[in-house]
Amino acid sequence: MSQTQASLRGGPEPLVSVRGLRTLFATERGLVRAVDGVDLNIHKGRSLGIVGESGCGKTVLSRSIMGLLPSTAHREGSVRYEGHELVGKSVGSMRRFWGQEMSMVFQNPMVSLNPVMRIGEQIAEPLRIHLGMSRSDARDTALQLLEEVRIPEPKRRLRQYAHELSGGMRQRVVIAIALSCGPAILFADEPTTALDVTVQSQILDLIAERRQDRNMAVVLVTHDLGVVAGHTNEIAVMYAGKIVERAPTNELFANVKMPYTRSLLRSIPRLDDDPHTRLHAISGRPPDLIDPPSGCRFAPRCAYARERCHVEAPPLQPTENPDHVYACWYPVGSAEFFEREEELVATGVHVRGRQ
Amino acid sequence: MTAARRGLGFGFWLSISWLIVISLAAIFAPWLPLKDPGENYIVAGARPPYGPSSTHWLGTDQDARDVFARTIFGARTSLVIGFGAISFGIILGGTLGVLSGYFRGWTDRIASIVMLILLSFPGLILAILITALLDRGLATIAITLGILGVAPVGRLARASTLVFAERDFVTAARAIGSSNRRIIVRELLPNVVIPMAALSLLGMAIAIVAEGGLAFLGLSVDEGVTWGKLILLGAGTRDLERAPWISFGPISMLFLTVLALNYAGDRLRDYFDVKDITL
Amino acid sequence: MLSYVAQRLTLAVCLLLAVSALTFSGMNLLGDPLVNILGPIAADTKNPNSIALIEAAEAEYHLDKSLPERYVRWLGDLVRGDLGVQFSSTGEPPVSNIIKERAPRTAVLLVMAQSLAVLISIPWALLAASRARRPADRISTVTSFLLIALPNFALAVILKYLLAIKLGWFPITYTANDPFLSRIYQTFLPALTIALPAAAVYQRLLRTDLITTLQEDFILMARAKGVSKWKVLLRHALRPSFFSFITVFGINTGALIGGSLVVETIFRIPGLGTTIVEAIIRDDFPVVLAVVMIATSVFVLVNVLVDILYSFLDPRVKR
Ligand code: SF4
Repeated sequence: MSQTQASLRGGPEPLVSVRGLRTLFATERGLVRAVDGVDLNIHKGRSLGIVGESGCGKTVLSRSIMGLLPSTAHREGSVRYEGHELVGKSVGSMRRFWGQEMSMVFQNPMVSLNPVMRIGEQIAEPLRIHLGMSRSDARDTALQLLEEVRIPEPKRRLRQYAHELSGGMRQRVVIAIALSCGPAILFADEPTTALDVTVQSQILDLIAERRQDRNMAVVLVTHDLGVVAGHTNEIAVMYAGKIVERAPTNELFANVKMPYTRSLLRSIPRLDDDPHTRLHAISGRPPDLIDPPSGCRFAPRCAYARERCHVEAPPLQPTENPDHVYACWYPVGSAEFFEREEELVATGVHVRGRQ
Repeated sequence: MTAARRGLGFGFWLSISWLIVISLAAIFAPWLPLKDPGENYIVAGARPPYGPSSTHWLGTDQDARDVFARTIFGARTSLVIGFGAISFGIILGGTLGVLSGYFRGWTDRIASIVMLILLSFPGLILAILITALLDRGLATIAITLGILGVAPVGRLARASTLVFAERDFVTAARAIGSSNRRIIVRELLPNVVIPMAALSLLGMAIAIVAEGGLAFLGLSVDEGVTWGKLILLGAGTRDLERAPWISFGPISMLFLTVLALNYAGDRLRDYFDVKDITL
Repeated sequence: MLSYVAQRLTLAVCLLLAVSALTFSGMNLLGDPLVNILGPIAADTKNPNSIALIEAAEAEYHLDKSLPERYVRWLGDLVRGDLGVQFSSTGEPPVSNIIKERAPRTAVLLVMAQSLAVLISIPWALLAASRARRPADRISTVTSFLLIALPNFALAVILKYLLAIKLGWFPITYTANDPFLSRIYQTFLPALTIALPAAAVYQRLLRTDLITTLQEDFILMARAKGVSKWKVLLRHALRPSFFSFITVFGINTGALIGGSLVVETIFRIPGLGTTIVEAIIRDDFPVVLAVVMIATSVFVLVNVLVDILYSFLDPRVKR
């Protein structure tokens, strides 16, 4: 624990600090531990990527930090926002934060806009609720926001409905809504997954630009390490409700420690790949969060797992770089790792030279 | 998913039991130890209607006739009307729907127009029209109410036929060279019948209620007692004031029966819808 | 859009033509039309008064002409607002007058009933959906199920007994000569009788749609904007859930027309229901025909209006 604490040090007081956060859902089958003890710092004006496969709890983590959970959910631990403790706050008092201090961009803009409300109305809504703007002021501000997210013919859009807009444009509208009240932190949950490849980077660039000129924190949740590579300062890799590796973006790509992160990295398609290179998809599925495996949760799927991994859960520990922490007994670079790697290459499971 | 696996549930079987009990009571009414529904049980020195007592469980009506016995005998007519109506609706509507769903083309178009016109009449109005014009025998009433069911049944039958006609086993039967009649009777019908059973329970409830409506308009069967006519008998303000049991006896019987039919029909429909998807 | 409206209206007119032709020929083919119009008078060919009536009826209804011709003439009269002469020995006024006097009462009853049903069902559905699958919602589901199983005439008897006779909250009789407001008050109980089961039907439907809508991402988005729970329900969830509600509202009007005729006779409101019952007893078929045509036309027109309204309200409908 002290090591963890050490690695969470660093510079000024963070905007959001998450400690020991657990999020449990009561279901018919039992208690789902979607987030199981997470520590994080989110800093003003910086961008954090939360990465993992689907079903590893990253979406729940982002919503849990924001407190945006269904009534069946239960939160434990601590989330401090500018000194306010958010865990335990009622939904009613959280509403002051939502849309104003923290806002969220959802995955699929096809379904995250109200189909029967005009775009203008939807952008104006938080302005009127939080900033108490008049109808006409809200409309003017909505127009500015649409310009800010670079939507062509913004005036006309105000009167249109979501179904009249393209997917990329809808996501820009969603971003405009999220930005409307000048939030200090923006959560973007797979903001580009549902979009065309050509639009994806435009949307990510747009978010990055707004972050810089508004000095806003951004949490980018994605299953795609490729997405976060160019758009984040720091990355936290999540597996089965836990953070398994966290590092500044460059450091992570240069010096990956955790085998799970490494598999994620290897599954990014690269431009210099031969056209027919097989992607290294990770075999198997993330574990059941009702009854997760004891020991290292990645062990059942890990090619480097040994006896100890199945019994004892590895704690987060720092590398030489104190900002880089990972949870693994036999990390990339360790003697045991190389030993196993040799065996795998020998049996033809792995191809040398790709990392 | 889990709900479907749990089976039809306690409520369903309770409903079915009630329906069986009331049907048996109706069928065997003349042989049951009931009071005579036509007899006037005048008590010397007191004017009817008499309140519920150990001799008259649900009291008597204005003519000192036993309400309970009359309610059970009323079930005979009401259930026959409900059953007759829905049988008629299913036979005619089902034939129309299956044929139009199977043959498509002109058959389908004509059947659709017929159903559309039938559906343009507001519920009871068509029944009022027919019963006003014809003599009001049991069969007339049953058939009239059955006509109301033709369009909804036809639509369902057509829809299920369309779905099933696309399925492999029909194509397979066709490929073997079976005749159209054989395909319809052997392959299609059993699959259309299941959703139809659910609909017929709901339809029977509607027909029984509709008979009541007609009774209140003076358009129910001329002869014999029905639940509708029995309720009407006690519905006048003065009678309600002094002898509410005359109406409330048959009302409770009617209500329980309609409730059971609705519930059983709903459960059956939900149950088979789920199965339908997994087919 | 315009072509859509035109298309719907054309269909409605065709349906009305078909329905009226069917009704008219039914009236004329089943039994002797003269008997249908005049009742027992038709057989009384000795009495000079009857003979005069018979001749007048034959002339008025062109009974010497062929059926299609008679239909066309009747239709022509109908379009001009003439529903025919009523023949009775008591010298009742023409059908159109009776209808003009009585139809508004039925209309008031129906409009009140539907408004009550909507006013009851919307908050009910919102309450049930916001507490989905919790005890309050389960109680509401059972209640609506019971209400739906209760036939309107039975409910009429029960409400009359409880609210009018036992509690005395509402008047039992309808007095046609009372001022408008007191007649509204007298219509309240019958309207409630029609409204309660209708509200249960609407509530069930709206609740299901609301629960589906509440699971949509745009609801989460609205919450993330900081919109309050009730505003989420009212502004975001209700509107998109409203469309099947409107459709069922239209279809249900048909059932309610039939039901209102029955309820009218129980509460003795001299509206169309009472009219048709009296007409049937007297074998006064032009009146029966007129009431059937009015009820059917209203039903068909309401459905067309609902269709058109639907396409106006839902921006997603391609026009
Ligand atoms: S602790 Fe063991 S099982 Fe877990 S990632 Fe490291 S090597 Fe694999």
